[in-house]
Amino acid sequence: MSGGESGVGETYSSGSTVEGRRFSWLLDPKLITVALVSLAVVFLGGLVQVSFGAYSMTITEAWFAVFNPDVLFNTQAWNGFLFGGELPDMSQESLIAWNIRLPRVFVAILVGMNLGFSGAIFQAVTRNELASPFILGVSSGAGLMILLTLVVFGSLTAFLPLIASVGGGVAFLVVYLIAWKNGTSPVRLVLAGVIVGTVLGSLQTGIFFFADDIGVVQSAIAWTTGSLTGTDWQQVRIALPWTVVAVGLAVVGSRQCNVLLLGEQTAKSLGMSIERVRFALSGVAVLAAAASIAVAGIVSFVGLIVPHIVRNMVGSDYKKLIVGCVFVGPALMVAADVGARLALNPVQIPVGIVTGLIGGIYFLYLMKKKENLGEI
Amino acid sequence: MANTPQAAETSEQETDRAQEIPTGMTTSSGLTGEELVIGYPSADDPVIERETITAKPGAVTALIGPNGSGKSTLLKGLANQLAPEAGSVLIDGKDIHSLGGKELAKRLGLLSQESTAPDSLTVEDLVMHGRYPHRGFFESVTDADHRAVERAIDLSGCSHLREREVGSLSGGQKQLAWIAMTLAQETDVLLLDEPTTFLDLHHQLEVMEIVETLRDESEITIVVVLHDIEQAARHADYMVALRDGEIQARGPPEEVVTEKLLAQVFGIEAEVKPTGRGPQITPIRAIHEGSDER
Repeated sequence: MSGGESGVGETYSSGSTVEGRRFSWLLDPKLITVALVSLAVVFLGGLVQVSFGAYSMTITEAWFAVFNPDVLFNTQAWNGFLFGGELPDMSQESLIAWNIRLPRVFVAILVGMNLGFSGAIFQAVTRNELASPFILGVSSGAGLMILLTLVVFGSLTAFLPLIASVGGGVAFLVVYLIAWKNGTSPVRLVLAGVIVGTVLGSLQTGIFFFADDIGVVQSAIAWTTGSLTGTDWQQVRIALPWTVVAVGLAVVGSRQCNVLLLGEQTAKSLGMSIERVRFALSGVAVLAAAASIAVAGIVSFVGLIVPHIVRNMVGSDYKKLIVGCVFVGPALMVAADVGARLALNPVQIPVGIVTGLIGGIYFLYLMKKKENLGEI
Repeated sequence: MANTPQAAETSEQETDRAQEIPTGMTTSSGLTGEELVIGYPSADDPVIERETITAKPGAVTALIGPNGSGKSTLLKGLANQLAPEAGSVLIDGKDIHSLGGKELAKRLGLLSQESTAPDSLTVEDLVMHGRYPHRGFFESVTDADHRAVERAIDLSGCSHLREREVGSLSGGQKQLAWIAMTLAQETDVLLLDEPTTFLDLHHQLEVMEIVETLRDESEITIVVVLHDIEQAARHADYMVALRDGEIQARGPPEEVVTEKLLAQVFGIEAEVKPTGRGPQITPIRAIHEGSDER
């Protein structure tokens, strides 16, 4: 029996494209290209971000500041960055690069990553290509809490990231409750999201009327359009653990996404407990969205276009799609933030404005090019 | 491979048994729906009211009836896609409600009427999804999975399509791919909802040949909803005719397909002639409601 078995195994591994090995799908040339190009964009964008600013460095100076071995291989420095300990002495260039400019790049990477795969998951859950991380009420819940905190409960501003994420999560649960009637369906979920979004959006606009200080309004706009201005290692420390958890869960859940794409009937007849899987996957996506809201506010369009771009390049297999989003999301976000920070130098605009512009143009291009948009 | 050696061995033995033992009641599973009341949550009145249906083990049972007669609803009830309001569905004497989702999916496969898949999915990957109920949450693809996929692709005759993307296939080829996916589940009971509707004749025959092969070689119990009465009479061992959610007749084709039944169930006047390949039905005219005395 065992002899026969190994014989059979051999014929399959040589005769078919699906390998028995677990990670062989990662070796897809398209996926590798996507990852490498994305890494290059992130790297170049990061280098530009480090070089330019109020304290200008040449590219080579920036290069040496970033790859300063005294920082790169210094455990005390990393302890300071990642756990908030005291920083060791370093050159001024390295201090600016590592303590002011690079953290912003890292936050952009984490935010782009989270929004990218979060959008991909929501598109599988709702079976709609036009779904985004903010489709199920997350952004409106977070936005309302941001405004309430800034305008009404000014003393709680220190907890803004936490409050915003909790607001997003609660709004998501409310959407689910509204959508539930003998189970949910993609359409009911999306409609419930629209209802909650509309009501909470009105409340947000209402609260703007009560803001008497232009500074508060600007701060509120920065949070509700998404901004990376002033982010540092503190934000990296907030987002990193949740990102790691969410990425892990998303990769594990990718096969469930694939089966969901076969339609509810088929998924059910294959023995999937659809409601449980759908809720769990949404939970992972909300976690990722909340982590990004906590550090950057509500950055629109990234979660919508990143899965699109990746799907066009590697296909709709979620195992590849999620991994692709983990690379392309950061590339888009870092590139957009270069524009947000340097385009109107010395004025910095919220990065959400840049992603909105990029997103709008991308969709215009997509509409001209593709016949049917919407269903995956 | 995340399987423990023992687990791998048992699942292998099971596959072997299903493949090797040619006949006998022990390998085929019967499917019985008892006193089923099935309806949709959105409608008040149930579609099926207190009907009992038995699919003989290792045989092909065809459900026929006019549009809206409840044949697809009955099939969905048997497959647990619609939870019956009353009554129970038994597989091997066990209530399917007592089986978990995956446990049921290992015993009972369903080919739905409308199936959608992402266009860029390859046939082989689609068929691999049929292994879903056999795989644990973290489990990777095992040799048993590969064998099942291989066998399913072979049986459904789509080995020439395995690398193709689903979006590039014709309607008939798509149906073969979906049948292969259902076969990869390796169930003892297979429910097919109008598998030949909208297909060209070649693919219709191909699908029915697969159904017969499954019955003859694998002793699978098959319940199939068919639109074409002649086709049902020719390929099925038993037929069940429905109208307005009620079973009007059941039995071997020659007993069910009669001129009287065609008038009663389908509202047509027709001539039925027995031939070597099942009865030949020549529809003559529709019986209109007003003149209908039966």
